[in-house]
Formats: sequence, C-alpha cells, structure tokens
Amino acid sequence: MAHQIIFFVLALIITVFSVMAVTSKQIIRSATYLLFVLLATAGLYLLLGYNYLFAVQIAVYAGGVMVLFIFAILLTNKPGESLKTELPVRRIAAAVTAIAGLAFCAHVIYYNIKKVTVLVEQADLTPQQLGHTMMGTDKYQYLMPFETISILLLACIVGAIMIARKR
Amino acid sequence: MDSVSKYFSGLFTGIFSLLKGMSVTWKELWTPKVTQQYPENRDTLVISDRFRAELTMPHDENNEHACTACGICQMNCPNGTIVVTSQIIETEDGKKKKILDTHQWDLGMCTFCNLCVITCPSDAIKFENTFENAVFTRSKLVQKLNNEGSSLREKKKEVKPVEPKPVVEAKPVVEAPVTEAKPVVEKKVTEEVKPEEPKAEKE
Amino acid sequence: MILNYSQPLEITNLTGWLDSALRSSMSEFWVLLIEFVLVGALLLTAYAVIALILIYAERKITAFFQARYGPNRVGKWGLLQSVADMIKILLKEIVKINRSDRFLFFAAPFFMIAASMMTFGAIPFGKGLHAVDFNIGVLYVTAVSSLGIIGVLLAGWSSNNKYSMIGAMRSGAQFVSYELSAGFALMTIVVLAGTMQFSTMIEGQRFCWNIFNGHISSVIAFVIYLISGHAETNRGPFDLPEAESELTAGYHTEYSGLQFGFYYLAEYLNMFIIASIATTVFLGGFLPIQVQGWDAFNGIMSFIPTYVWFFGKTAVLIFLSLWVRWSFPRLRIDQLLNLEWKYLLPINLINIVLMVILVLTGLTLKDIFGIM
Repeated sequence: MAHQIIFFVLALIITVFSVMAVTSKQIIRSATYLLFVLLATAGLYLLLGYNYLFAVQIAVYAGGVMVLFIFAILLTNKPGESLKTELPVRRIAAAVTAIAGLAFCAHVIYYNIKKVTVLVEQADLTPQQLGHTMMGTDKYQYLMPFETISILLLACIVGAIMIARKR
Repeated sequence: MDSVSKYFSGLFTGIFSLLKGMSVTWKELWTPKVTQQYPENRDTLVISDRFRAELTMPHDENNEHACTACGICQMNCPNGTIVVTSQIIETEDGKKKKILDTHQWDLGMCTFCNLCVITCPSDAIKFENTFENAVFTRSKLVQKLNNEGSSLREKKKEVKPVEPKPVVEAKPVVEAPVTEAKPVVEKKVTEEVKPEEPKAEKE
Repeated sequence: MILNYSQPLEITNLTGWLDSALRSSMSEFWVLLIEFVLVGALLLTAYAVIALILIYAERKITAFFQARYGPNRVGKWGLLQSVADMIKILLKEIVKINRSDRFLFFAAPFFMIAASMMTFGAIPFGKGLHAVDFNIGVLYVTAVSSLGIIGVLLAGWSSNNKYSMIGAMRSGAQFVSYELSAGFALMTIVVLAGTMQFSTMIEGQRFCWNIFNGHISSVIAFVIYLISGHAETNRGPFDLPEAESELTAGYHTEYSGLQFGFYYLAEYLNMFIIASIATTVFLGGFLPIQVQGWDAFNGIMSFIPTYVWFFGKTAVLIFLSLWVRWSFPRLRIDQLLNLEWKYLLPINLINIVLMVILVLTGLTLKDIFGIM
C-alpha cells in the first residue's frame, strides 16, 4: 500500500516536472525542473531497493551533471531571458521526433516488462557483489566495459587539458 | 628536480608554519580576557584622564572660579555650544567690572574638540572624564557650569604659580614645557589655534 | 567479542520499550507509521537544537580566541543568546527582491537544508540512534551532501545581484573540487575497513580506531578529510564565497529572516556533519575507548552512554575546526584551487594506493598486533 502511494507520488513528480522542463521558457528553470525529475528517479531506485543506484544517481546526476549544467548556464550570455517561440515547422518536427522516441521506448518497455520484474526480485545488492561484478572477468562480469569507459574519460580529460592549455 | 624539491619543501614548510600559527592561537586562547564588564565594574573602571566627557568649571573651597567672562570660549566654539552671559557691576572702588552671570554649555551639541579649554586665557574650564552623561530629556543636556553664588577668584601673587599646573595637564597639544612665563604660553596657544578656526567656520 | 555489560543510561532501553508497547496494541502498519513520524520529528528537533548549541559554542569559543567574553548577557553566561537570536530571525520580515526569479529564490534554501538534513539522518549518534543505515552509507553521505551546492548556485543566480552571483560561483568551484578529496579520503578508509556501512564500520573499530589501524595512511586521510570538509562547508580559512570584505555576504546577501536562517542553520549543521562523519569513520564513532584485555577498564568506559562518547568526540573535532578558523587568514581563490589540485588530490591518490598496499601486505595495526 505504502509502496503504491510513494510510487504514484514519484511518478506524478516525474511526469509533471518533465513536461515543465520542456515547456519552460527560461533555461535555468528548465534545468531546475530537470533536477527534480532526476531526484524523483533516484527516489524510484530507492523504492526498488537499489541503494547503490540511488546514491550514484544523486551523486552523478544531481550533484555532478546538474551543477555543471547550472554553471554552464550561469556562464552563458543572458541566462535570465525568456526564449522566443520557435517556427511552426520546427515545432512539428520536434513533436514527430518526440512521439517517435516515445513509441520506441514504449515498444522496448512493453516487450521487456517480464524480464524487468524478474530482475527486481533479487534486489538487495551489496557493494561487495557490485565490486566483484565490475572488476571480474567471468561471465556476467564487466571489467572490459568498465576499463573502456575509464579510457574514454581519460581521453576526455586529456582533450580538455589540450584545449585549455596556453600556447 | 629543482621543482620537485621546491614542491616538497614548500609542502613541509607550509605545514610547519600552519602548526606554528595554531600554537600561537592556542596560547591566545588562555590569555586573560581584556573585555571591560562595564556596569558591573563601575568601581574599578579606569578611564583615561585625557578622555573628554564633560566640560566643567573648577571651583575652589571659597566657591570661586577663574572665569573672567571674556567670551573667548564662546567665540572659539565651532558649534555654538557655549553661551556666556555676563553682567557689568561696579566694584567698591568705583571701577566698572564684567563678571560672569551664567556659563552655559550644551552637551548635546558639543563635539569635544577641546578648543574652548585650549583658548581659555585664565584656565577656568576643563574637560572631566566622567562619561555617564545619558539623560532622558534633551533639555537636561544644557548645563550651567558656574555654581550658584560663585564669584571670580581675586588675583593674588601666590596663587599664580599654582594655576599653570592644570594648564599642563589639560593641554597635551603644547609641546614646550610650560614653566613660569604665562604670556608666552598664551601666545603659543593662540598661534596654534588660529589656523584651525577658519576651518571650523567653513563647516 | 561483543561486550554485554549493563548500560542503564543507554537510549536503546527506552526505544525498545516504546517499540514493544506500540506493537502490543496496534498493527504493523500503524506502528511503522508512528515510529517514522517520531523519528522524523526527533531528527528535526535535534537538528534545530544542535544548531542552536553550535552557534552559542562557536560565538563563545571565537570570543575566547580573541580574548573576549562573548555573549554573556542573555541568561546565565549568555546561554539563551542563540535562542533569542532564533526568535529574532523568525520574526523578521522576508524581503522580496524586485526582478529576481521568485520561485528559484524561495526554492534555493530548501535544497541547502534538505541536503544537510538527509546527511544528518545518516549519522549514528549512539547505539540505537541511527536512522538511515544503508549498506552504502559512505557513498550515500557523499552523494546527498552534494545536493546543497545546487541551493547555493540557485540562490546566487536568482538574487539578481552580482555579488551573490560571484559568491555562488566561487562556492560552486570550491565545493566541486573539495568534494573530490573528501570522497577520496573516505574511500581510503573504506579500503581499510572493508565496508561502506556505518554500523559495521563502527563495530570494526571497537578495539582499534581506524585512524590508528591504518597509521600513516589513515592520519593523512584524516587530515585531508578535515581540510576538505572545512572547504566544503565554506568555513574557516576557506570562507571566500562569503568574503564579507569583497562580496558583502556572498550568495546569501539578499536573503533575510527565515530564509537566511536556513542558510545559517545549514552552515552550522554542515560543520557538525563533517565532524561527526569524521568521528564515525576515523575515531570509532559512538564506541567508548576500549583496550583489548583490560576488561575492568572497558566495563567502566562502556558505562558512559554511547551518545556521550559520540558528542564528546565530535565536540573535539568542532573545536579543532574553530581553532583552525581563527588561526589562518582567508585563502585567495587561486591558492584555494592550488591547494586542492596540486597538493591534496595527488597526495590523496598516492595515499589510497599506500592504504591498499598496507591492507594487502598485512601492515595494519590490527594485523600486526592481532587485535580483534
């Protein structure tokens, strides 16, 4: 019962603030609404018992990405100004793209819903299990992608230093 | 190599200096407190003699003061704080003489600049360090400095050397040690005060 | 070995009695609901009360460092001063700023207070006084405390004031950089303790605190954690986001009344949170001082309730923070970033490797002396 109520509250927050993030005319407000969406998503993870995912969602998205977003917005020219409405052609194009994306996601979710429920059942994940999965080389262990991503991030850092460095 | 050693020496000297700074503040934590707990320590409170809080006119035991009602203090006051009223009486030997009627001083307007005390030729007024002057109505700030029924002290030869003493105390401005010659002192005083006067008038 | 001495002053006696009393009279759902509400209310009250005590302590100790007496008029020794201040701040008008983003302006303090409140819940105050105990406790604390910076940034932007804006940007840069080394310092200890959960981490420190267990590496991590914790809370020599000589009050310049009170409260509570997490992770948390083998001594020590130990250890760290605050001059922004990126972060990375080596080669004190 309580789970149901919390789920519906979180779902409502996610839906309302997603729509507001898209329709808001001030970019900084959009960013704030997006932050609420991300926080509510973290709440969903917590509801499912994925503590680790919850903490990572908050640390990475709310604490890291959103701070960078807000920083970038604050450094742009006139962050407080309202946006103008776009041309009708663009609006139609955007609407079509959005509906296409929605259809794709709905399709994937609809055909995978059974698998998701199976995964949720074995929820209680300890950091030890997680670490072994991340660092192991056996079946269903992910050392390779983990290291690939770290190399990608390293490349990003080196690139940033190259751009920022004084010549 | 040089930059590496610089990095580490900088690191360790930095840590050392921070610890030294903390030891200094640790000692400071235990030093006696310097705060004056004012209303409680009224009896032991030490106020500097030079602190100017209230203008007074010293009277001696015969209820006599030294004010000749010349009005120089009134003229020198930048704010018009002092009002000297005098009256002219005739003495027994038939001379006309100006004597002090009231010497009025308004604490509320005073800036405590000390010009009246410096310029007074007969050192009749001085600033005291009694600082508790708060009152509930503004009219109480206007004070009459001469006592009721007081009179001018007669000039006597033996009193004179006594008088310059408070002059020295009241005038820290005067550099030269004042000893006997009174006119010299007065000249110096007027010289010093003069350049300040126009300033005060402009304001 | 778990000690089973009678601990009559322990709060678990009271909570256990309350729980069984509730369970005997109503269903599971209502028991849980009542207990959740009670815990929430208690945490909120503790939050406010601790902030009041901290404000008083800070003013008093600051005064002692400057050879003054500090507040001493309201109540005995000025004990009621912060209560009087609180009443004043509650009664003050909330000023509305022209041409500011009203919604963000009002929302910003809540981010700040919610972040520090959520972290506050994860602190183990004593045996049985631990509201949120995830198996990823350390990660949770780092994650949740990073939310506060959004409040600062939004406050700076929505105030429509360049000083607030500069203060917020400085604060953001400072927080993002120092969060990194605070996290690394905690991770060093996670390597040593082998767990992220606060309760098991504390249990593991019964006879040997983590700061002693990992000797060199732990001490370095402890110092780095304290430095970066200071910087994260914008206090001490790192208070340049609110450098009053340059920026009036930094990001909270335009706030007044209760909203300012939120920032004020959150600042003091963040100091407390940093100190209490350092206590939990490095100094054995709420456990009393115990020496293996000295059973009589251990018995006497554990007679003192655990929450007293916790607040005592935290108070020492808070005093240390105040001591540092009144010893050192404020850093410039370039010095601040130099300190983080050129000193703390490299040292931290080397330190974490050193800790791994210590643990793997069995050179921790527990391994050497065979302590439980």
